[in-house]
Amino acid sequence: MEGIPREVLEIADGIRSMRIRGAGKIARSAAEALKIAAEKYEGAREPGAFRKYMARVADLLIETRPTAVSLPNAVMYVMQAVFTPASDFESLRNSVVSAAARFIEESNNAVKRIAEFGSRRIKENSVILTHCHSTAAVSVITEAYKQGKVVKVYSTETRPFYQGRITTRQLLENGVPVVQIPDSAVRYFMHEVDQVVIGADTITSNGAVVNKIGTSQVALAAHEARVRVFVAAETYKFSPMTVIGELVPIEFRDPSEVVPPEWLQAHRNVRVLNPSFDVTPPEYIDAIITEVGVIPPQAAIMILTERLGWAIDKIKQAGLTKLRFEDLVEE
Amino acid sequence: MSVLRREGFAERPTGSELIMNLLDAAQEAAAGGDCLKLVKFLRDRYIQFSRERPGSAGLFNVIRQILTYVRDHGCTGVRDFIAGLKEGYDKALWSASEVMAKRIVDGEVLMTNSNSLAVRRLFEILVRNKVKFSVYVLESRPGLEGLILADYLDKLGVETYLIVDSAARFFMKNVDKVVAGAEAVAANGAIVSKVGTSLMALVASEARVRFFTIAPTLKISLETVYGELIKLPEGDWRLLMDEETRKSLPEKYVAKAPLYDVTPPNMIDGVATELGLYPPQSIPILVKTIYGSYPPQLTPLEKLFSELLGGG
Repeated sequence: MEGIPREVLEIADGIRSMRIRGAGKIARSAAEALKIAAEKYEGAREPGAFRKYMARVADLLIETRPTAVSLPNAVMYVMQAVFTPASDFESLRNSVVSAAARFIEESNNAVKRIAEFGSRRIKENSVILTHCHSTAAVSVITEAYKQGKVVKVYSTETRPFYQGRITTRQLLENGVPVVQIPDSAVRYFMHEVDQVVIGADTITSNGAVVNKIGTSQVALAAHEARVRVFVAAETYKFSPMTVIGELVPIEFRDPSEVVPPEWLQAHRNVRVLNPSFDVTPPEYIDAIITEVGVIPPQAAIMILTERLGWAIDKIKQAGLTKLRFEDLVEE
Repeated sequence: MSVLRREGFAERPTGSELIMNLLDAAQEAAAGGDCLKLVKFLRDRYIQFSRERPGSAGLFNVIRQILTYVRDHGCTGVRDFIAGLKEGYDKALWSASEVMAKRIVDGEVLMTNSNSLAVRRLFEILVRNKVKFSVYVLESRPGLEGLILADYLDKLGVETYLIVDSAARFFMKNVDKVVAGAEAVAANGAIVSKVGTSLMALVASEARVRFFTIAPTLKISLETVYGELIKLPEGDWRLLMDEETRKSLPEKYVAKAPLYDVTPPNMIDGVATELGLYPPQSIPILVKTIYGSYPPQLTPLEKLFSELLGGG
């Protein structure tokens, strides 16, 4: 921790303790931490030492939440500038600071742009179905509603945690007419639906979407009914590790989210399995709406190479399953 | 279970239990040898079921059979007839479950939802026959009857996995066969079942997992032969949460909770009945076997009532 500014350590701690949460916020905080680290750097005024220092900060940040996608993506985005060849220290530091600022600005504008692009894909008089809660998806639906295109929204409850109630609340606050339905009724209502709009937790290099459990059967039911499925996702949700074949780990959460602990204790032959996410294959997705544009899911690899190509090259070269920036610093 | 009420947990009789209960109550209504009382009782139930469980074909078939008996034979022997109906249905249900049990082989992994009496009997037969199997049970909202089924399986000592309805596709790859009960079987082989069944069947069909339903022939909806659509009731937030939870949500919050959905015949590999395992598309053959002709000679229930009650 030596030589790392206090504000940076505080942010790292905030991410670790989940005081800072939500994919977007985590990403922006990490970029902010790198920006502060660069601005407050007090070591030797030469690129080599500066890079080594920044790599230490980057590794510290990444280790706070090993499974998040947005966090390493933000760090990689900024570190790309750190490792750009530079003749002098000052211009290197400036380019790092401006890369971090650019990331934060792009991220802040991302949801707005996604809403703008996504709303154009919604047809007149649409009935929309959404699953779970996604800020990006709610923004798309709200924007389309403001344009007078949305008649009704079906929002699934999303067991076990009922995130659908958050979606319903937000849409009601925005004036959007919304009906909550149980997750089991998705196919029942699908014939009334014109478009499905959902968010994403992680997008893989082949265009599969990892999102809240149930998403893949919503998409399947939509596919069966020839209803379009749109995924609203910021580019920092795309996972560079999947380019080298890494699988996205699916978290199994505590059974007590599904049934009370007393019920479990009384039923010894019953195991409650509570996976948080599932994987929707690209063939059930019509488009992914990002802040840089609308893409077919199969073009996810393009987003990854264009935005994070440098990091992916490094990952490939080093054969890493985990990126450690300190290892990348050349002596 | 009080915590579960918050999540909308409710004990609801299964379709088969309702049929049995109706027959018991009809038996009582006929106790005094007063058939007018019996017919009036059946008419009240008919009105109630048309509103609350319009999809439960077995109830309407039972009412029709009793009314037809009274029309043709008067009151004499009606109690024996009703007792015979109940015994017959109970046997048919066991036989249908036996047929299904023959399709399950040692070591298989099953998936089911809700809390069907036919499916419970299937599990009981498998345990009795010492067939090793495990079951994924969907919690089955609204109502969460999957918990009642999981409780039943727990007591049978069966390895059981309880999952949320949304996780059906996640686990389908591990499953060998899906089995569901049915409220009604339509003439075209579609089945009406607890909401979510059609989604589970779709997920099974995508994964090339076989989907079966257990339904005694009493559950064939004869009205659908004449093109009647089976009506599906929908509830509101009361099926999904308690009052207190509702109060924590915005005033304008609206929920719609259907109780049943329709699984199309193309997703069903077989209907296990007391007469054997039939492909859903062959329901007309079953109807012809049982009722002697296709279409069957059917007197509408409304007409039977007005004949017997003289328009009252």
